[in-house]
Amino acid sequence: MAAHGGRIGLSAARPPGWWKRVLTPERIAPVVAGAFLLAVWELYVRTQLPDFVATPSGIVMAIPATLAAPSFWSDTFVSLGAIVQGVAIGTVAGILVGVAMGRVREVDWFLSTYLRALYALPLIALVPIVIIWVGYQPAARLTIVVISAFLPVAVTTADGTRAIPKEYLDVGRMFGAKARHVWFGIALPTALPHIVAGIELGFARGITNAIAVEVLASVRGMGMSVFEKSGQLNENASLVYVLALAIFAVGIRTLMVRSRQRLAPWYSR
Amino acid sequence: MTAADGTGTFWQRVRQFRSARAGWIRVACYAASIALVLGVWQAFGRSFGVLFVPFTTTMSQLWEMLQSGPLVPALGVSAKLYGVTLVIDIVVGVTVGLVLARMKLIAAALEPYVYVLYATPTISLVPFISVMFGFEFWSRVLVAVVISIFPILLGTLEGARSIPRQHLDVAAIFGSNERQIWRDVILPYVAPYAMTGIKQSIALAMVGTLVAEFFLNPDGVAAVLLQGTTIIDTAWVLAVTIFVAAMAVALVGIGELIERYLVRWRRTAVG
Repeated sequence: MAAHGGRIGLSAARPPGWWKRVLTPERIAPVVAGAFLLAVWELYVRTQLPDFVATPSGIVMAIPATLAAPSFWSDTFVSLGAIVQGVAIGTVAGILVGVAMGRVREVDWFLSTYLRALYALPLIALVPIVIIWVGYQPAARLTIVVISAFLPVAVTTADGTRAIPKEYLDVGRMFGAKARHVWFGIALPTALPHIVAGIELGFARGITNAIAVEVLASVRGMGMSVFEKSGQLNENASLVYVLALAIFAVGIRTLMVRSRQRLAPWYSR
Repeated sequence: MTAADGTGTFWQRVRQFRSARAGWIRVACYAASIALVLGVWQAFGRSFGVLFVPFTTTMSQLWEMLQSGPLVPALGVSAKLYGVTLVIDIVVGVTVGLVLARMKLIAAALEPYVYVLYATPTISLVPFISVMFGFEFWSRVLVAVVISIFPILLGTLEGARSIPRQHLDVAAIFGSNERQIWRDVILPYVAPYAMTGIKQSIALAMVGTLVAEFFLNPDGVAAVLLQGTTIIDTAWVLAVTIFVAAMAVALVGIGELIERYLVRWRRTAVG
């Protein structure tokens, strides 16, 4: 039994002193671990690998020059713009189709074969056929992002609206709710946390697939620059782009978690 | 509800028909949707020049590629990468998840970085990984593993953290030793959580395999896809895409079957 308790008794008898309350081991540990990982990376590259390989210090030094270049901002604008626009279109379409599938069995039966198959398919496998159909241009990126967001939103919305508790519908009917009230007054709010989860997934997949299209179809944007800078042995600049993408991805994820807590506080996960 | 003999308003009769013939309507819907899509595909297959081909042409192209041609050897290459990736995902993901659940300080130290790495689009790290580790097999495995390991790792971690104390206490009272506690309490409790993660990783390992093959010197199925894209051979690309989709549906289906088997004793599904 003792072997399975918390081995580190953090909760027991904490000594006084404000610095000990603020600087708990749980708060210090990530800083120490981060410093250690960065140091290992820096030392490993400096001692074992050629100069051009990115190091933490090199990335920091490369930030001003990279941010000063206008191409960084135009890349960021077109890539993130396409991702946000694509996810918005995909989300609206996904919600409409998902609600219809969740509330009308026949629609679900009609569409589910294709929707489930496409949902299971790694969408990156669709990039080549989309490039053939849409061409080697930015529209291919937008198309892929729309599909990437549409599928998870449609599937999660369908799951969410299908699982409406019967009591909600009974109460609605008792108060004389019309079909549109049931759809947009009951079904949609019940499905809201599912929809947000779908949008979150849509963003994650949309970012990855947008980068894939940029690289495979030579469309200007952040993803292409990551690969291009690396190809020019400008590894540090390449990782500044990665850092910007990571900040965007983490920001979107935080936004989604926050909005789920705000819009559906009863739904805990 | 009015009588069942077809009286009542139009919508009431529609509703009656829908519930009385549900099974029949269901089959009809599936049949209609497949017939419609295949029919439209076949009918308009020749209307877009080189950009589109009829369904039958696509299927015969696929059949030909499976008989002879680059698809079968490429499939072997991809399957090897996929298999190695999934095994590493499961072994490392479950182990690290369990270890992190037992070592709270290390978990607290690494958690922020795990979440940042999880959120970062791994595809953007491919150039960095290729500079650090090259373009060969294990570099590909690394890319695929980074893309697909996190659901297993985080699922196992969540499961191992939520083991009720009572379960461990009861085992301890009945004199279980360390090995028995792991075998009888911890692993059975964590299994459904890990399996939920494994189900997601089965799908993500395909994504990882394709990303590694597309972007670290094309190889395997991805190389076959790119080959068709370069020469704009639509039948070729469609055939491979459909084949990949069929594989994905099959693998996800297998994952769901295993999960259902493992969680059969739980009243509510996890996740």
